[in-house]
Amino acid sequence: MTNTTLQAAPRSTGSSRQGAWGRSGVLALIAIALLVAGPWIFDSYILNLLIKAFLFAIVVITVDVLWGYTGYLTFGQSAFFGIGAYAAGLVFTHFGLSPGSIAIAIGLAIVVPMVVAGLVGWLSFYRGASPFFATVISLVLPIVMTQLLLSGGEWTGSSSGLTGYETFDLSLNAWYWIAGSGVALIGLFAWLFVRSDAGRVLASIRDNESRCAYLGINVPTIKILLLITTAAITGIAGFGYGAFSGVVAPELSGFALGTELIIWVALGGRGTLWGPMAGAILINVATAYLGSRMPFLWQLILGLSFVLVIVLLPQGIVPALLKPLGFGGRSRRVPVLVERAGVVVPESDGVPALLMENVTKSYGSLKVLQGINLKAEPGDLVGLIGPNGAGKTTLMRCMSDGADRTSGTVHLCGNDIRRLPAEACVRFGLGRKFQNANIFESLTVAECLRMAGTLHERPLFFTRADTLALPSYALDVLRVTGLDSMLDVVARDLSHGEQQALELTMVLALEPRIVLLDEPTAGLTKTERTQIGVVLSMLASRYKLCCLLVEHDLDFVEQIATRIVVLHQGTMVMQGTFEEVVNSDLVKTIYAGSALAPQEVV
Amino acid sequence: MVLILDITTTIAMLFIVTAGLMMIFGIMKIVNFVHGALLTTGGYAAFVVTQLGWSPWLAWPLALATGMIVGAIIEYLIVRPLYKRPLDAILATWGLGIVIGQLIILAFGRDVKFADVPLTGTWSLGGTDYSAYRLLLIPLALGLCALLAALLNGTRFGVKTRAVIMNEELASGLGIHAGRIRFITFSLGAGLGTLAGALISPLSSIDPGMGITWLVSAFMLVMVSGHSMPSLIVTCAVFGACQVVVSTYASPVLGGLTIAVLAALTLRIRPKGFAHD
Amino acid sequence: MKSTYPLIRIAVLAASALVAAQGHAAEPIKVGVAVGLSGANSVVAPAVVQSSELAVEQINAAGGILGRPVQLEIVDDASGAIGAQKAFDTLVLEKKVNAIIAMESSAARNAALPVISRGRVPYIYTSFYEGRSCNKWMYVNGWVPEQQVAPVVDYFSQKLGAKNYFLVGSDYAFGRGMLKFTKAYIEQHGGKVVGEEYLPMDGSDWTAVISKIRSTQPDALISATAGGAPNVSLAKQLKAAALTLPYGNLAIDEGTAKTMGDVATGMYMSASYLTSIDTPENKKFLSDLSQKFAGNLSTPNELSEPQYEAFFLYKAAVEKANSIESAAVVEALKDVSIVGPRGVVQMNASRHTPLSMRLGQIQSDGSIRILETQEGVSPGIQCPNLK
Repeated sequence: MTNTTLQAAPRSTGSSRQGAWGRSGVLALIAIALLVAGPWIFDSYILNLLIKAFLFAIVVITVDVLWGYTGYLTFGQSAFFGIGAYAAGLVFTHFGLSPGSIAIAIGLAIVVPMVVAGLVGWLSFYRGASPFFATVISLVLPIVMTQLLLSGGEWTGSSSGLTGYETFDLSLNAWYWIAGSGVALIGLFAWLFVRSDAGRVLASIRDNESRCAYLGINVPTIKILLLITTAAITGIAGFGYGAFSGVVAPELSGFALGTELIIWVALGGRGTLWGPMAGAILINVATAYLGSRMPFLWQLILGLSFVLVIVLLPQGIVPALLKPLGFGGRSRRVPVLVERAGVVVPESDGVPALLMENVTKSYGSLKVLQGINLKAEPGDLVGLIGPNGAGKTTLMRCMSDGADRTSGTVHLCGNDIRRLPAEACVRFGLGRKFQNANIFESLTVAECLRMAGTLHERPLFFTRADTLALPSYALDVLRVTGLDSMLDVVARDLSHGEQQALELTMVLALEPRIVLLDEPTAGLTKTERTQIGVVLSMLASRYKLCCLLVEHDLDFVEQIATRIVVLHQGTMVMQGTFEEVVNSDLVKTIYAGSALAPQEVV
Repeated sequence: MVLILDITTTIAMLFIVTAGLMMIFGIMKIVNFVHGALLTTGGYAAFVVTQLGWSPWLAWPLALATGMIVGAIIEYLIVRPLYKRPLDAILATWGLGIVIGQLIILAFGRDVKFADVPLTGTWSLGGTDYSAYRLLLIPLALGLCALLAALLNGTRFGVKTRAVIMNEELASGLGIHAGRIRFITFSLGAGLGTLAGALISPLSSIDPGMGITWLVSAFMLVMVSGHSMPSLIVTCAVFGACQVVVSTYASPVLGGLTIAVLAALTLRIRPKGFAHD
Repeated sequence: MKSTYPLIRIAVLAASALVAAQGHAAEPIKVGVAVGLSGANSVVAPAVVQSSELAVEQINAAGGILGRPVQLEIVDDASGAIGAQKAFDTLVLEKKVNAIIAMESSAARNAALPVISRGRVPYIYTSFYEGRSCNKWMYVNGWVPEQQVAPVVDYFSQKLGAKNYFLVGSDYAFGRGMLKFTKAYIEQHGGKVVGEEYLPMDGSDWTAVISKIRSTQPDALISATAGGAPNVSLAKQLKAAALTLPYGNLAIDEGTAKTMGDVATGMYMSASYLTSIDTPENKKFLSDLSQKFAGNLSTPNELSEPQYEAFFLYKAAVEKANSIESAAVVEALKDVSIVGPRGVVQMNASRHTPLSMRLGQIQSDGSIRILETQEGVSPGIQCPNLK
């Protein structure tokens, strides 16, 4: 089964990869050539159009990074654009044009969006926030912005906006080159970023936020920082628009523009950067020409295309057109695996890996866990068993997320987790492996592992590292399961067993002191099961990891566990060795309903 | 006295506009950004009635029927394929709203239109004369709330709907046709949205973009209010009152913002909103 | 001599044939019209378009301008700033029109002026507005507050004894400009302004404003909203609230009044053009319009009739300058005058024109009863810095 999956995984061969580079390079060169030669090719009407289209394209890039790459659907980037534009309009109208006022205007165009973005981020990206709520907030933002501008009376010009203010005395050609280089620069910057190791964090957030949290990645902070950065960039683009066009009006910050940005990204191809850029520029130019000739029909076509694309062709039109030509393949530069230096087996200092005292969990009046007192030392391999509904997974959650339990204290490696979120628990030494293979579906094996290593090794911002350092026991797992030769396979294409092994390796890459495993053998073949058992035993005995596993496979538990804890209806009814537990009448009653041994062992 | 009447009639308007959305999003958890376009459609239904010279009261059944038909088509073609992709459902229904807006422009033109008021004149309450039609909205809203609450809690249809929401597989296993329940609920919610558009448009004006301004406020209200119709009335009451007070004593522009801002803050502080569980 | 006579005749014939052929093959003169086909102005836009089309048809039937036919380019400015910018970019840069004659909201006009200056295109602004807008390339044939406000306030204070006024407007250049002038005029003449409220141009919910009017109990109400939709929504809601104080609407036009039915009854307005003006020019204008647009006629009004005149003013200026070159036309525009449906129009008062103003009251059948007329009211010095 493993082998067939291997063969099915698409591999980009060396030559086609180079071919893809070559084709992209040609396209990029054509674009640069158009940029430089524009003023001689295009007449002033089109130049005028293109300048504005380039500025919008800058904003579109930020929208794609936020939505296509990070999974945050936002209608609100137009608000930052409007702030930047009004910075230009307000300062130049009320204070005239001078080096000082220019500096103030640019400063405002950068700082005010950043502050607003910080506020919006705080509002939208808190622990447990739903993505839908974040999207609705992003819709509220431009509406609030527009209304604030409308209520500004004569100062902001209200519905009329501000016009006729003195602005930079540059020729149309100069503006064209400025706007063009702006979009080229931001495009390059964004492209380098999303391809880099740090950029992969965005994709991992989009794919699986909870896995990120359990790898110690502080997702809310990253999202807020990303929003602040994109807001600053968008503000500058807005400033450019205000300075160029000489007219600023509330429509520039409204949600009509905000939704147009989303439409351009959707049609252009979310998650590709060049697709939305091309889409934005092309649609802007087309709208200017067709919008006056057949205004109703053109908007209708755009709207229909948008709906069709969302329902039938989510990847967008531009990639769909260009993929057959060979574009869009990802070059998978495979890093070299090296052993991480400095992994030490900690001294046994008497501090238990896990200490739970009087932990309870209730949902209203329903008590799910009561009076849990559990202690585990480094090197323990504790098996947690009990019938379904006993509260095993709830217990795991209470150990790994400070906000979860209702009362009681939990200490991880001597640290009180109080009400801290999962990523803090990870920093205390916790690693959690989920029941379903909880990985990043669209990332390669190597990229998943790199995400797991972010606690120890900050990912590079604009490049990709050549090496991938993992602790030796993680490397062992990779070798044993054969994943070390599949580093460039996309995680989605792995077999179930390989995905489980990948997740385990990711958890081990954290160098955890305590590992929680939720049914690690579910769905594995006999061979795979033995492999996992060997690995876990080694981790406990040699590296003094404390392992807690929830398991139904009693054979597996018998082989490797040093201690068994039995959970029933939310309380710990028994602790002991495997024999003690299995032979006790109490446990038989719990599982089978009576102390009489059934005919067959289940 | 005038302030109290302003507040109560505004609350009634808010409830009428959000009731349809509550059915679809609050109860079925289906994202429906078409709601704005449905409001607009209802407004144009009222306009058509005015153009044809019919009694303005006929706008109500016309709007309701139009909305249910349009809702049925939308549910079948767009919403059903996107149950599993909620963010994409937002986009698709939003895009659909744009398409409907463009179709309306093609049919009626871009300019602003007006519909006749079914009930002209004023009623005297507590010494002040107040617009009769506006006052009519209050019993309408209360009646609608009672009707919908009865539908959801008292009928078999309501029980089946709540069963499907709680556990669709189990409900299907018990013979409840989940797809059909969703279809009916969506159509009903859409019809209510269109009806709301017809109800509010005689008070101001009708143009292709009128629904959008209501859309965000409606969503915020539904997100804060939770699952039940009575809690929606409470939410509309609290936020509606704030909006009118801000409009009257500060500025009408800021008043328009009040609901959105207050709702956002409420949800941030208490993600469950006003729900009881 | 006998033999050359036929030759000369042939030569003359050939020459005149050539000249005639030139006339037929002459390049059209493009006149751009930007108007609010969508947005607040959309209610009055159809009338503006009809006026423009009638004027062009009549000019072309009489041989065009300097022998060249006039071609209309109509674009939508969405009644606002951003839309106007796009519209004017299209007209000036893409279609390269020779002149622009436009009835627009002040938001649109202000946004258009930079494009006009860059493109160096003569621009006749045909809407009434708040005054003081000046540009090297622009002329205005609509009224300004100096002409329009006085009749209304004078009538209210002298004939109706009003002392306390409440002012309502749309929050943009026009609304604020008009009410600023009105407030100053009221206070100069011994009155008091007890309330001043604004709503954004697209706003349609006047509930809070109406509550304030109720609570301050003024003697009269004066409004300056954007032309079109806001007039209707405000009037409807005032009527629904049974507020019956004297109401002077500075921005209402006859066409909108007609569509409002009995909601507008009793409203006072001051206008330079009314369909009931009894002059031969107006009668001809009305009959030509109803003939061309039979069955589909939008009532000509204060916002559409100046548009009609402006085309003839442009024609006269081009013929006086004998060229369509922008600077020459702009120079000539101040010297030409026409006798239109409103009377004599000559934009020689600081780029604006003296007008005959009529104070009217809207009747229950939508017609306007003229209460007073003042001839030749001066617009004051709107653009002291322009020659």
